[in-house]
Amino acid sequence: MTVLLDVKHLQTRFKSRKRYIHAVNDVSFQVHEGEALGVVGESGCGKSVTMLSLLKLLPPAARIEQGEAIFNGDDLLQMNSEQIRKVRGAQIGMIFQDPMSSLNPVINIGTQLSEPLRAHLKMSKADAWERSVQLLDMVGIPEPRARLSDYPHQLSGGMRQRVMIAMGLACKPKILIADEPTTALDVTIQAQIVDLVKDLREELHTTIIWITHDLSLIAGLVDRIMVMYAGYIVEEALVDDLYTDPRHPYTIGLFGSLPDLGGQQRRLTTIGGAPPNLEAIPTCCPFVPRCKYAIDKCKIENPPIKPISGSGESLHSIACWVDIRDRREA
Amino acid sequence: MTEKDIPQITTSGLLNAEGLSQDRKYSLWRDAVARLMANKLAVISLALVILLIIISLIGPYFTPYDFLSQDLSARSQPPSWAHWMGSDYLGRDVLSRVIYGARTATVTSFAVVAVSGFIGIILGSLSGFAGGRVDTFIMWITDMVMAVPPMLLAMVASVALRPMVAAWMERMYASTGDTFYRQTFWADIFLLVTVLTLVLWPTYARLIRGQIITNKTKNYVLAARALGITNSSILVRYIIPNSLGPVVVQLSAGLGSAMLWESAFSFLGIGVHPPIPSWGNMISEGMDYWRNSPHLLAAPAIVLGVMTVAFSFLGDGLNDALNPKQWSD
Repeated sequence: MTVLLDVKHLQTRFKSRKRYIHAVNDVSFQVHEGEALGVVGESGCGKSVTMLSLLKLLPPAARIEQGEAIFNGDDLLQMNSEQIRKVRGAQIGMIFQDPMSSLNPVINIGTQLSEPLRAHLKMSKADAWERSVQLLDMVGIPEPRARLSDYPHQLSGGMRQRVMIAMGLACKPKILIADEPTTALDVTIQAQIVDLVKDLREELHTTIIWITHDLSLIAGLVDRIMVMYAGYIVEEALVDDLYTDPRHPYTIGLFGSLPDLGGQQRRLTTIGGAPPNLEAIPTCCPFVPRCKYAIDKCKIENPPIKPISGSGESLHSIACWVDIRDRREA
Repeated sequence: MTEKDIPQITTSGLLNAEGLSQDRKYSLWRDAVARLMANKLAVISLALVILLIIISLIGPYFTPYDFLSQDLSARSQPPSWAHWMGSDYLGRDVLSRVIYGARTATVTSFAVVAVSGFIGIILGSLSGFAGGRVDTFIMWITDMVMAVPPMLLAMVASVALRPMVAAWMERMYASTGDTFYRQTFWADIFLLVTVLTLVLWPTYARLIRGQIITNKTKNYVLAARALGITNSSILVRYIIPNSLGPVVVQLSAGLGSAMLWESAFSFLGIGVHPPIPSWGNMISEGMDYWRNSPHLLAAPAIVLGVMTVAFSFLGDGLNDALNPKQWSD
């Protein structure tokens, strides 16, 4: 598989007054052509900031301190605003969490959907309108032509997210980054959106990066999962490996907080404590205060991410000093 | 309001259901007009405003009497068929004077709103977009202007500027011989517009600045940037239209308040000077005779009150019509 996007040593931090918040720390990962990558972690662990950094969509307080992101032979992080604008939407699309507020309330759906087509593909107004009909049809919106003259407030949340997906895919980008696109929707709609993205992925061969905090949601959608904690990638594995054999204590904690269908009823476990504040780059493992497997070494040195022994081709990697299999049996 | 639900059905639901909207391109402004037309109070207000504009444009040519002609044999007459609004203490026809006063009020308020709105919108947008020092500086000026009681500031400016305007008019008359420079009407209006603009522009500047700063950080702006839409397009189609609603409302309500300001100044004797009629100086003159001739006070006061309320309701109607987010509520 060819590498489509190669991110190396990305570090992003926010400046607030005189302090820094280290939101993304030394994050490296690769995205392969045609795959679907899940990025999982709790709120504030750097998932969204990582992706926003790649497209240089960060708020003014944030700065990319170092790193590179090679896409099509160019470093996204070195591009000027005009170059990166041509990548956004055309090469890498991104859709966001809250469909209720992600559409401009004062212009109708058709005009909004036409915007990226006109900006990147230089389509005429009439052509873009016609293409918009096809796009809405593609994302499963009934009576697409009539819907184009509607305003966002006339559509339901699920419909609006479908519109957002249509906009994100309008110019057939190579990568679609979906930043918790289902979080604001109710459960049945969530499943519909996941199915829609699955179908579209097969149809358009788009590479997907799906950010979520819900491990159960993306099991059937993605090929590979990256677990993030406190701005670090703590575990990276193919989806089956991660679900059957999670190795990082944080990942195990995340699985413990999911209910099983079918199995016996049990009290859901939580991960005690809260994520660390990210004001300083930790000298210990950032998960130490919440980890029940911690050993002395964890308090002295932050573990780098490394493939686990015997993982072979699948490259199952974790950032942990402890082999928890020994500890579990003990 | 229950009427709000009705246009919701008319504009999208019904038309779509009947297939009428298939090829009709909707636009914010067209829908807003449809909505405005569904609001009875706003339509009545709009009609009054249009009537006022027509009267102030052509009314003075159709008045039953000349607004200056005195008839000392018919002084302080109550309303009658000859004088619909009665006559004043010099026997001048009150209706004719109210009609001419409409011109004074309209010219002043439209000029004030146009100039102060223009300055406010330019400086406010600059402030909102540029941020940083430019923003600090412009907001510092608005703070200074707004810290002084507006009436006081306007009075000081008016008193300070009047001799300069008068001297300029005198010089122009001496050099051109044009009688235009001998009358006081346009000089008074010019002075009023200048001082009221000085007092009123910060309101617009602050309003549009706040709007732009809020809209800059909206999710749909981020979403648009993520789609690679150009900055100029984001500005023109995302930020400005979303910022404009409250400004349009403020402009409409501002017309009413500028009218009130003009009357207040003329009432105090620093606005439009007699014998040129202004509703304010008519009220001022009527005050002396209200025991025996209440109509002298009532006629201009009622007209002024009705027009101020009309501008206010029109502003309200525009607010509802221009805010699609409120449509579904």
